[in-house]
Amino acid sequence: MTVPPATRTRGREAAQALAAELSKLATLPATFLTLGGTFVVNLILAIAFTNAGLRDSTGTRSAPDIGLASIGYGQAGFVILGVMAACSEYVGGQIRTTLTAMPRRALQFTAKHVALAIVVLPAAAITAASGVALAAGVLGDTAAPVTSGRVAGALGGVTAYLALTTLISAAVGALVRRTLAAVVVLLGYLFIAGPLLRDHVPAARYLPDSAGFAMWFPPAEDAGAVTPVHGGLLLMAWTVVLIAVVVLGYRRWDV
Amino acid sequence: MTGGDASRSHVDVITIDNLVKRRGSREILSGISFRARPGRVTGFLGPNGAGKSSTLRILLGLDRATSGAALIGSVPFAKLPDPLAMVGAMLDGPGAHRARTGRAHLRWVARSAGLPRARVDEVLEVVGLTNAASKRVGAYSLGMGRRLGLATALLGDPEILVLDEPVNGLDPDGIRWIRTLLRERAASGRTVLLSGHLMGELAETVDDVVVVNEGKVVADGTLGEVTGAYRTLEDAFFALTTGAAS
Repeated sequence: MTVPPATRTRGREAAQALAAELSKLATLPATFLTLGGTFVVNLILAIAFTNAGLRDSTGTRSAPDIGLASIGYGQAGFVILGVMAACSEYVGGQIRTTLTAMPRRALQFTAKHVALAIVVLPAAAITAASGVALAAGVLGDTAAPVTSGRVAGALGGVTAYLALTTLISAAVGALVRRTLAAVVVLLGYLFIAGPLLRDHVPAARYLPDSAGFAMWFPPAEDAGAVTPVHGGLLLMAWTVVLIAVVVLGYRRWDV
Repeated sequence: MTGGDASRSHVDVITIDNLVKRRGSREILSGISFRARPGRVTGFLGPNGAGKSSTLRILLGLDRATSGAALIGSVPFAKLPDPLAMVGAMLDGPGAHRARTGRAHLRWVARSAGLPRARVDEVLEVVGLTNAASKRVGAYSLGMGRRLGLATALLGDPEILVLDEPVNGLDPDGIRWIRTLLRERAASGRTVLLSGHLMGELAETVDDVVVVNEGKVVADGTLGEVTGAYRTLEDAFFALTTGAAS
């Protein structure tokens, strides 16, 4: 009478969870509104920074430096995206559907973050490249010469930084569960607490924001500065540790 | 007839065994035990706040019990290899994000179990939401939200249905429709567990009745046994849950 439940391998289950989480992101209007809005705002800021660069006769006019200056603000869009991806689970009781369909919570949580990375990586690369392309186009021959390796390195660094920042934001969103509160915490850290700490505490260079900036800002002169590669590894470690800590709670708490 | 399941496989029996749930100093469940068997519709009844939803949430692995066990066959929900094919669940509300369309919601749920897209259209048809499938869930009425919740529960054509207050928000036609659907599921040998507090609607749907009050089971048996000497299930319910029964 009763048919035993079909068994599926862990690999298949993981692939299906990833497909489900990708489908959720793709069908949430906020995903593309946020990414599109971030792209446009970042480009407008890049125009402003490039114009400022044109008027500045003393500084070096490097296309990647000027074209990526806007990312310091544009990252706010990626923070919001990460938080919304996590907190949208708590709208309309969707989390209960999610966890009855995918009760292995660590697997579901991991699938959600992998899906987010898959969506964000190309978006971050396009956003970063658009600013640099715009700066290079406007500056033209007046731009300081840079090697293509330097441009590729900076773009790669920014893309990885934005993707990891999005994942950290999603983990914080899952912890806080409220969009506004999580966004305030994260932007407060990135724009207020982080810069204050950086100016007053030497060890702050190892915090996620400073380590992340080292991935793409021109390296400082002093020998103790964090290199782009070290910055990238540091930020990756922060991301993995934060996700792991949130998973420990997420596996146990009532939803 | 409740003893008739001895020869059957027990993978689709729901066993609630001495569940206790405390939140802070408050005890929400004080040792709830009962079974829901295949081929029967089990009504899990009680006033609001009696512990019905808490029990169902623990059964579905959403909340953790302080002690006791809730099993599907012999395993907790979270250990089911393919949960959507085994248990279809509907809890309070549509369980869907308001910005997504009904179809998009069902599609991501279907993907999580590797179900084909055609199955989404089938369940939309079954619950009568085909024409509203492209509307955002936020634009749904209460009844449409319940229908979407039911469509989600039916996606994997599960052996077991667990429905929290399924008739809430449905019009008389909807109630008649869901009653027919649940009776058909039970008639085909499947397990149906539903909670509710509207006795009039439920008396004609359930075979077995478990009545809870203040976190404890106060009656458990067939509809006839629980109704007993009272005129209706409703009379029995009020007698049992207002303390007059003792």
